[in-house]
Amino acid sequence: MQEIIPFFQWCDDTAVAQAIRNSRVAFPVIENFHLFALTVLLGSIVVLCLRQFGLILKNQTISEVATALRPWNRWGLAVMLTSGILLFLSEAMKCYGNTSFRIKMLFLFAALLFQFTIYNRIVKNEGVTAPLGGKIAAGIALCLWFGVGLAGRAIGFLG
Amino acid sequence: MSILSMCQWLQDTSIGTSIRESIWVFPIIETTHVLGLSISVGLLLVSDLRLMGFIMKKRPASEVYEQIKPWMFLGFAIMVVSGIFLFWCQAVKAYNSIFFKTKVILLVVAAINAIAFERGIYRKIEKWDNALVPPMEARVAGWASLILWAAIITCGRTMAYTF
Repeated sequence: MQEIIPFFQWCDDTAVAQAIRNSRVAFPVIENFHLFALTVLLGSIVVLCLRQFGLILKNQTISEVATALRPWNRWGLAVMLTSGILLFLSEAMKCYGNTSFRIKMLFLFAALLFQFTIYNRIVKNEGVTAPLGGKIAAGIALCLWFGVGLAGRAIGFLG
Repeated sequence: MSILSMCQWLQDTSIGTSIRESIWVFPIIETTHVLGLSISVGLLLVSDLRLMGFIMKKRPASEVYEQIKPWMFLGFAIMVVSGIFLFWCQAVKAYNSIFFKTKVILLVVAAINAIAFERGIYRKIEKWDNALVPPMEARVAGWASLILWAAIITCGRTMAYTF
């Protein structure tokens, strides 16, 4: 993976990265927004998956719940990615050597890929009850997104 | 016994000491507390958005609230239990932190807001259950809840930076 070190070094040297590092409050403030977005993004996924399992909001169809939550899911994701990129830039070289960061990126790409190719299409067509396949997809989505969160927290704890 | 010496006693107990000095237990509890946000405040968000008249407007407000409530309480139970253990092992630092004190006060205010909603406008739910946009009192409760919880999250995260 050494061939991508120059890219990480470039990220680390950008003006934005330096500005965040030079500020006492920038990193905590951005991380705070990262946490708000975690609440909104994972919250919307938890609600939709619970609905697919038939445990919550049973009087609405799955596609109705998905439609109601979609803008919140998208905004949560947008804030999550924006704040995450800023946090990454400010410590890009630290992230390069961090195993948890690499695992987090794998989970993130898997979660995004799964959500936008398979999961969103599945929930769009589901009615009152989800078939077994839909429930399995909900379980996979939950595991992937919580995997992102778990590995994210581990960046600071484990390295 | 002063509150400070009680905090000192608490974190010196064998449970407090072993959590603080463990390699795995503290990170696991802390991660549970952070990811638990998605179940507690994440579900609260959906319920509050209905109260504010933003989502699921075609469904009765009471239905959305009652369906979400048990899972939301499960989320808050996870937060309270993990939060108590986090406090247990770092009670003195928490006691000395202005962010922790602010967080506790905000938690009390959030609880009062929730109780005031249940005892107040929610008692008259049959009058506005199907309203696309709930009455002012319910919308204010929803806004207040979200603003308070955003502030609680901010205080919780910020206090960890000062430890």
